Amino acid sequence: MTVTNVDLSSCDREQVHLVGAIQPHGVLLVLEEPALRIIQASTNSADFLGIPCEQLVGQCLEVLLGDENTAAIRAKLVAKELTKIFSHLISVSCLLHQDSVLHISGNRIDDLLLLEFERTTGTVDVNPVYECSSSFQDMIQQLYGSPGLLSFLSIVVEQVRILTGFERVMIYRFDRDGSGVVIAEAKDIGLEAYLGLHYPASDVPEPARRLFALSPLRHLPNVDYVPVPLFPDRSPLTDGRPVDLSYSFLRSVSEMYTGYLRNMGVKATLVMPLLKSDKLWGLISCMHHSKPKYLAYEQRFQIELLSWMLSLRIGDLENLDHHAYRTQLIHAHCQLIGEMGRVKSYHHLLFGSKINLLNGINASGAALIENKKVTLLGTTPSAHQVGLLAEWLGQQDFVVLATHCLPHDFPAARDFSSVASGLLAIRISRASLTWVMWFRPEMLSEMHWAGDPNKPVIIDGEGQESRLQPRISFALWKETVRGYSEPWLDCEIEHVRKMRQSLHDILIEQTCQLIRLNTELELSNQALNNFVYAASHDLKEPLRGIHNYAELLRLEEGEHLSGQGHQRIETILCLTERMHHFLEALLEYSHLDYIEQDFQIYSITLLVEEIVDMLKKTNPNESITVDIQPAMPDILCNSTFVKVIFQNLIMNAIKYNAEAVKTIKIGCYTTNGMPVFFVQDNGIGISSAFHEYIFQPFKRLHGHKEYGGGSGVGLALTQKAITQHGGRIWIESGEGKGSTFCFTLTPEHVEEGGE
Amino acid sequence: MIKKMRPLMIVEDSDEDFEVICWALQKTGFAHPVIRSERAEEALSRLFPGMSQLDRIDPLPCLMLLDLNLPGMNGLQMLEELQQMKQKLSTPIVILSSSDNPLDIAACYRFGAAGYIVKPFKLEQYIEKIRDLTRYWFNTITLPEEKCDE
Repeated sequence: MTVTNVDLSSCDREQVHLVGAIQPHGVLLVLEEPALRIIQASTNSADFLGIPCEQLVGQCLEVLLGDENTAAIRAKLVAKELTKIFSHLISVSCLLHQDSVLHISGNRIDDLLLLEFERTTGTVDVNPVYECSSSFQDMIQQLYGSPGLLSFLSIVVEQVRILTGFERVMIYRFDRDGSGVVIAEAKDIGLEAYLGLHYPASDVPEPARRLFALSPLRHLPNVDYVPVPLFPDRSPLTDGRPVDLSYSFLRSVSEMYTGYLRNMGVKATLVMPLLKSDKLWGLISCMHHSKPKYLAYEQRFQIELLSWMLSLRIGDLENLDHHAYRTQLIHAHCQLIGEMGRVKSYHHLLFGSKINLLNGINASGAALIENKKVTLLGTTPSAHQVGLLAEWLGQQDFVVLATHCLPHDFPAARDFSSVASGLLAIRISRASLTWVMWFRPEMLSEMHWAGDPNKPVIIDGEGQESRLQPRISFALWKETVRGYSEPWLDCEIEHVRKMRQSLHDILIEQTCQLIRLNTELELSNQALNNFVYAASHDLKEPLRGIHNYAELLRLEEGEHLSGQGHQRIETILCLTERMHHFLEALLEYSHLDYIEQDFQIYSITLLVEEIVDMLKKTNPNESITVDIQPAMPDILCNSTFVKVIFQNLIMNAIKYNAEAVKTIKIGCYTTNGMPVFFVQDNGIGISSAFHEYIFQPFKRLHGHKEYGGGSGVGLALTQKAITQHGGRIWIESGEGKGSTFCFTLTPEHVEEGGE
Repeated sequence: MIKKMRPLMIVEDSDEDFEVICWALQKTGFAHPVIRSERAEEALSRLFPGMSQLDRIDPLPCLMLLDLNLPGMNGLQMLEELQQMKQKLSTPIVILSSSDNPLDIAACYRFGAAGYIVKPFKLEQYIEKIRDLTRYWFNTITLPEEKCDE
């Protein structure tokens, strides 16, 4: 059994609220409504009320307070709609104790009414009321003049000390992990200072923290009190379960707590929760060391008011602390927005020399990760490490993530904890895997614990029988804290949240712009195609005229021409013919866009056979062997396009082939579930130096008189027809090694990232 | 009795193309007179002089060769115009165009073209096609006589 796992399992389990006993500075009655019949009473009732508990149980409240007072309580109960929360009802005297006035407070829980009685006078250590009021007034005035949270709190503790007379008043703030630190302290001279000390989470265990949030004030006037049990100890109305005293002011406290206080040399305490947005933020803790100390209802009331007021102000004051910084951040954000209209991309915006991600914010480095591309600024982990971080972020569900102990959250970050123990990250877009990160370096600091935080309890005895004792030593325990940075402030988180919104807006705008450009591009492409078609069509007419006239000249006037004249006429005819083919090819290329996008399932084998038959007929003088793989798949395609593809590839295989027997192999294989078609020949091959050019329109590798002089459009046409299917084409070839053209007719599977 | 030969009308704006057609016709021994209109509008007014208050100068052509790409009204529009007229023409119209666009070809037949010839690039092919054309229309086919039109 380790020390760490006993402390929480034992102390957190102690059911402090079901102890069935109270402290002796008041009386508790449990009543049944509507009769207001007393069913349980604390055994000290005779001291306060003049009637022993045995006699009280079974009686109605009238017997104790008289008809008039009871009626007044009933009226209050109706008017207040009493809930679980304890509330002051009335201050009256009992029938049998007319000389002392009692404050009666109550709450309702589990269908029971709980009433608590407390004396107004007696052994109470009270300052005159006017004195309290005036110092309270002073305090309020001072509080509103304070420039920030810490100075405000230091005034609070001093004033509370004066107001209550407690020897020590501290403000204790909880960290994320439940541990706490004393951030303000006022104490009598001679007492050891606790200011700046940290206390492990187990010192104020979870049930205690929960109870603190429920009641506005806890008071323990004497740690050495003798608990007062209830009579009878179990109520017949609660199925034998003890009464829930969670909200009770008089409730007896945990032995662990009193033991802990005794070890610290504390005789009396008063604790009030400080809430921020309804969450326990910290405590005002008052301690008396020299002797027990009871604080009467009237004074407690003032302090309680103060703690409520404090709670309401904490958020504001925290903000006030960073007022200048907030202004700086807002300014940086405004600058960024101003720049947005001027720059082209994220990179320009976020990594400018003047305006960049690090403007305003207290961070040593920043990074942008866009589709796995990492851009760094300032002092950061390496691009690779940032990549790892992005991968880790990809697994988290967040929009803004802030941590000041990254190596603890993400162990791989230990390697770069010195530059990035603090991480603030925003996700711009899940789809494009875009993150922006800010880094803060490790802050090697000394943590001052009030005692060894790893030994919060002492185990008394061995094994299963062990009893826990609160720790005895509160001697200063210094620890060097690693893997922590300065924590991120709310205003910083707010700043990056706004940044995210702005960047997100850019992203949307960019997307819109892209769509618009695409549409424009498509239109201008279409217009260009229309132009090419019209131009090549119109060029054909005069060209034909030139050609015909040259021909006429040759036929009609041939006898008048010299040998050279004849030669020149021949050249005109030859050139015009070439230009004619060129225009035909251009027409065909642009014409592909006019072909109806009619996609159906076709048998590729049948289409190929048809083309091969046709090509064999048109090349009767060639010796061609075509080997067509018998069972090529049926594919959703445009038959016109597919014919263009195979026709051009097979034609090339025949044309650029110096072998006596031209062998062509046509087939299909499957890669990643996608059919890949191929046309393989034993031709002249293509040097790899040209592979990237051969699909460009009008790119020719051979002279006009070699290999039948093509137009240079065949492969461009083929590629265009393949692109229309969403597929792609590539070549495997080397000079003199034959060529294999491979292509797909389906869009390649695109990996979906993120969501 | 020598039958008066009805003319062949050629609607063609390009002088070069017209010359080549005539040359090819001549090569094939075509004997009919040839009349030419450079524009579709002109051709229409010659076919239907009543519309423009002109007396008919020419006899009605027995066959018309019509180019598609014409200034102003193009060949296709002329076919369309003829089809919409109450007075129907008995002269068959054969399109002679450089366009091999299937859409153009289909449209011409839809508007009543009697044939469609894509102008060949080479002269010898020109002669070949013109020879086929005249053989078909003047030897194989019997064309209507002029008096039946009146």
